[in-house]
Amino acid sequence: MIRHGVQRLLLALPVLFGVLLIGFLLMQVVPTDPATVRAGPQATAEVVAAIRTELGLDEPVWKQFFLYVWRLAQGDLGVSIINNVPVSQELGNTIGPTLELMFAALVWSIPLGIALGTVAAYLRGSFVDRVVMAISVAGVSVPVFFLGLLLIWLVGFQWQLLPFTGRGGPLWTMDGLLAIILPAITLGGVFVGPVARMTRSAVVDALQAEHVRTARAKGLGEGAVVRRHALRNALIPVVTLIGLQIGFLLGGAVVTETIFSWPGVGRLAVGAILSADFPMAQGTIIVLSAGFIIINLVVDLLYGALDPRVRG
Amino acid sequence: MAAPVKPSVLRMLGRDLGGALSLGMVVLIVLAAILAPWLSPRDPYETDLLAIMQPPSAEYWLGTDGQGRDILARMLFGLRVTLLMGLASLLAGGVLGALIGFCAAFYRRADGLLMRFMDILLSFPAILFGLALAAIFGPGEVSVVIALSIATVPLMARIVRGSALVVMGLDYIEAARAIGMSDGRLIWRHLAPNCLSAIFVFSTLRLGQVILLGSALSFLGLGAQPPLAELGAMAAQGRNFLFIAPHISVIPSLGIFVIVLAFNLLGDALRDALDPRLRI
Repeated sequence: MIRHGVQRLLLALPVLFGVLLIGFLLMQVVPTDPATVRAGPQATAEVVAAIRTELGLDEPVWKQFFLYVWRLAQGDLGVSIINNVPVSQELGNTIGPTLELMFAALVWSIPLGIALGTVAAYLRGSFVDRVVMAISVAGVSVPVFFLGLLLIWLVGFQWQLLPFTGRGGPLWTMDGLLAIILPAITLGGVFVGPVARMTRSAVVDALQAEHVRTARAKGLGEGAVVRRHALRNALIPVVTLIGLQIGFLLGGAVVTETIFSWPGVGRLAVGAILSADFPMAQGTIIVLSAGFIIINLVVDLLYGALDPRVRG
Repeated sequence: MAAPVKPSVLRMLGRDLGGALSLGMVVLIVLAAILAPWLSPRDPYETDLLAIMQPPSAEYWLGTDGQGRDILARMLFGLRVTLLMGLASLLAGGVLGALIGFCAAFYRRADGLLMRFMDILLSFPAILFGLALAAIFGPGEVSVVIALSIATVPLMARIVRGSALVVMGLDYIEAARAIGMSDGRLIWRHLAPNCLSAIFVFSTLRLGQVILLGSALSFLGLGAQPPLAELGAMAAQGRNFLFIAPHISVIPSLGIFVIVLAFNLLGDALRDALDPRLRI
């Protein structure tokens, strides 16, 4: 178990290095001079030169790379070109709302997906199965923005039931709770389908296993057979697949945040790229990538913990 | 991606209602894109400020957008851009991925290194490549195509490696080797043709996903730029008029939904027809 963990950890290191390198290259190819930007429009040539030296921009490229990694390690991601706010500060403000949104989307879509998939697998070939599979294929085909715009137009605008712009406040307040409903339905809506599909195929496999036949033969009720014997075994691959699908969810989160003006990292990243705010774009991309490396690592380790066969 | 679609496959698709319907839809979509200049009632870029935000009517079948442009015309031309972006990403990423997959299966020594590298690429979501490429090269169709190609490479490599490994274990590969066939020829003549059905099924499903991702990036403003007619970008522009004229963004969004649905259904049906073992 420990060996598996260490191995995975060591594999993550070169990936992290690659991400840092790409982030560094991003700043090398951009047309603007970071020293001029940091100095501001009214700065004299001497001030710019001093900042160049301070930032190490006169050093050879490899030395600049180490300087950049060193600054990153200290949490210094540079300053926004647009509003002079430190990138790390903006990121600190937006990571919370993004995690909140992803959590709110997963908290209803995973249980629903697993339930739908299990029912479909049990009633394989029936009308119910076909309906679930139709929902699932529609779910992987629908653009996130379509779902979001429909909800905004219908629930937010026509029926005036729920707010649809921005975060209302912390989740434990009424405003916060109401504001997250539509974004969470939008983002979770595209996740139910894949989860249902993965669960269905895993449960179909599990239902054919011999221990399930044994469980039936010894007279267990159907509910217990499905829940305790089939679903529990099927959940191991499903948990892993869900973990790996978090990337899919992030793509949806970027779009969802944009249409609902949700103050998260995705919206920050898109805004930074569109306004050519290179330090901000670099910071958001590095943080999102690092987030992925961590998620993958955790899923890998969880998989090892859940399924002893992986460790060998 | 010129896979020999055997008549039997077409017949099997025809027997399955979903397969037949999705094949019909895909054919119609592709035809509409090819014939856009002839089918289109107007110039998709011609603005008419006296007829802005018109709802669908006898004159404008799908209405007009915020600048008085005919939405039907823009849908037809937008379909071309959307499909071409998807095809370009699939082709570029698919060819490179297939090459890597064949190499990994054929040269067992390179396998570990190649596939570890593919795993790394696979661990990042396509949207992140989209953000990074748009940040480096600036927003545009080229950035989107490069990003989606990169995201397709590891998926294709895995599929190809998996099915090539099965073929590699068969006797006739041994026989071809014994008569002194060169590596390149062996891969091209014997390995590749036997992996085609897996490649074909994957490509169909992936095309749907790539179109969905590309339109999302264009919706965010990172892909196709206005005034270019592209379905995702059209939906984004229509968003400004959502409460006055919802059809401007709903129609292109619905269009993307139908296109992606058609490719996904066709991919599922093809998989059932070509590889019945996977049907559950």
